[in-house]
Amino acid sequence: MFKFIQQYAEKIENIAVYPMISLMVFFIFFIVLLLLVIRMDKKAVQLLSNLPFNSNEESTIQTI
Amino acid sequence: MQVEKFYYDNRIVKNFAYATILWGVVGMLVGLYAALQLVFPSLNVTQYGTFGRLRPLHTNAVIFAFVGNGIFMGVYYSLQRLLKARMYSDLLSKIHFWGWQLIIVAAAITLPLGLTNGAEYAELIWPIDIAITVIWVVFGWNMFATIIKRREKHLYVAIWFYIATLVTVAVLHIVRSIELPYSWLHSYTWYAGVQDALVQWWYGHNAVAFFLTTPYLGLMYYFLPKAANRPVYSYRLSIIHFWSLIFLYIWAGPHHLLYTALPNWAQSLGIVFSIMLIFPSWGGMINGLLTLRGAWDRVRDDVVLKFMVVAVTAYGMATFEGPMLSLKNVSAIAHYTDWIVAHVHVGALGWNGMLTFGVIYWLIPRIFSTPLYSKKLAANHFWLGTLGIIFYAVPLYWAGFTQSSMWKEFTESGQLKYAFLETVTYMKPFYAMRSLGGTLYLIGACLMVYNVYKTAKAGKLVADEAAEAAPMIKEEARHKGEHWHRWIERKPMQMMILALVVILIGGAIEIIPTFLVQSNVPTISSVKPYTPLELQGRDIYVREGCYTCHSQMIRPFRSETERYGEYSKAGEFVYDHPFQWGSKRTGPDLARSGTGNLKKSDGWHFRHFREPSSMSEGSIMPPYAFMLTQELDTSSTAAKINAMRTLGVPYADGFELTANEHLLQQATGIVNNLKADSIRISPTKEVIALIAYIQRMGTDISKQKNN
Repeated sequence: MFKFIQQYAEKIENIAVYPMISLMVFFIFFIVLLLLVIRMDKKAVQLLSNLPFNSNEESTIQTI
Repeated sequence: MQVEKFYYDNRIVKNFAYATILWGVVGMLVGLYAALQLVFPSLNVTQYGTFGRLRPLHTNAVIFAFVGNGIFMGVYYSLQRLLKARMYSDLLSKIHFWGWQLIIVAAAITLPLGLTNGAEYAELIWPIDIAITVIWVVFGWNMFATIIKRREKHLYVAIWFYIATLVTVAVLHIVRSIELPYSWLHSYTWYAGVQDALVQWWYGHNAVAFFLTTPYLGLMYYFLPKAANRPVYSYRLSIIHFWSLIFLYIWAGPHHLLYTALPNWAQSLGIVFSIMLIFPSWGGMINGLLTLRGAWDRVRDDVVLKFMVVAVTAYGMATFEGPMLSLKNVSAIAHYTDWIVAHVHVGALGWNGMLTFGVIYWLIPRIFSTPLYSKKLAANHFWLGTLGIIFYAVPLYWAGFTQSSMWKEFTESGQLKYAFLETVTYMKPFYAMRSLGGTLYLIGACLMVYNVYKTAKAGKLVADEAAEAAPMIKEEARHKGEHWHRWIERKPMQMMILALVVILIGGAIEIIPTFLVQSNVPTISSVKPYTPLELQGRDIYVREGCYTCHSQMIRPFRSETERYGEYSKAGEFVYDHPFQWGSKRTGPDLARSGTGNLKKSDGWHFRHFREPSSMSEGSIMPPYAFMLTQELDTSSTAAKINAMRTLGVPYADGFELTANEHLLQQATGIVNNLKADSIRISPTKEVIALIAYIQRMGTDISKQKNN
């Protein structure tokens, strides 16, 4: 199987197209991510960002 | 809902905190000593204490011992609290802790002994590589089992960073460590030449990304809001920060190889992704700094916040500088110079160091349930640390620029203006100033040791800290209209797999073509495998860490081809396991030491190894007189030839049986040359093999021309 892929890949001519493909992959990934994040529910965001604070172990030591 | 009572494990946090402090001081001390060796070469005492062996000890100690333990300290503290659960298994925590410390001790013993793989930040020998894998799995197991039995439904952003760190470091370590052992302590890397270089800097760059950056960003997202007592500025930004950072980082490795023999398309790929990295990095920095909005007045009084502000600022500076250094025209100036050393220390001393100190000052009083012993000492530490960074970095930036300009300067008649040695001796005052910066930073760390000791003594460790929380309600399915990211935040396994896919895309697109496509490494017919003596000499070169100061990669610039000879071609390195291109020129490039403009006689090399300053006045190279008396271990020759053949080096069948005869014959030739130079030595000394290797380097191409 690997041999087969190897033989095939050895014949790739325009290897320089790789960077372009990579850039497009990231661009699409980023746009989708951005859209999804912008559409996030405001309440959910607030809940999540407060996660470090709603534990009840808080020691009340004045350390500094 | 019935609340459950449980206890956080603070003992493991304390252990990792102590280990962080101990190895931090040790790592900095070794670094300071190595820095002083560049000013006072006489500090290179015995073969176990040369710069070439101590520099890997310093980098490994700081990265894997200091920052490594710092990561585990922060993760074990924050993970338990964010998940509202004790670590899954105290036994696994203990195995993780002691296993990691044993690995560090093993590294501290093997590296000065010259046992190394010869790849930067991946120097540790194969048995230690296996131990690292096992301990990393223990850590991952403990972490995931804790995540599974958690009481908090959602995974906070810090935990995603921990998960990404876990999987990516595992992938990096395994791919980098594929090697063929030929004895209990030695091995050859599977990859050769250009491919080894690409794997190395894919690994090396992402060791920075996923060992020094992502876990520490996780710590920033937990400890900075805690210390400032307000939530992170923008949680949305943190999601974008996380996914774009891990997506982009993995591609950026080739920027370490600009203008080298690496295929051009891979270089371009590395540049583009490195430039784009500014955005997520600065997104993270801005998110960290803006968390302090409305609380900046507190930074004046709160030493923990001071440390964190400098850390995040240093992160911003280093991640702006990184992409700039990835531009070809900037790399042309900065690569191989002390500029890079300054750059990495802004990251290590500023970002990792200062954040670690901030976390320690925040956390120790809490787990010992007592106020910090002295705020004043901590404030002094802060100033010593900050000044230390400035005194360290500024002279080296200056040095790097000067060095580069001197290397490239021509006289009006078209000759190189400076001999290499002149550029070395010119650096000494800068190296001295840098040592001063390092000393200040180290004194600061010592103040912390005392402060932590007194604090711990005044309080008592709350080994099991009581807490209460309701158990988590199982809610597996994604309900209608729910946001995708909230769904994934409940699913640690899916999160891990998604993170893995994201980093594998970059790694695969970058590395696989270089392995498969033959045209990437044009073969040169006159390039032949090393003779047995040269191979032994090369292994000594690797053992002594010569690559820490000498490159083997001539870039296609006039200033380099004039100084060193023909620029390096990819096909010249096909038998190099491991590649030794190096990343720093404290000494001159050696790629054409056997033929180029720097070619010297056997006798010159002999005397130079014995006492470098006798041949090059003012040289800061360590003396290697021990090689004149140390016997070459020829019993390993056959095993080495066999291993190399397995890796694809075309040694004839049965060659291993006669290899030592061949070795002795070539050695006798060198001994005769030396005799003509009135030097008497037996052919089986180590120095003979090293001379053979030095005289071989770069000669294959000139044979092609002569034919």
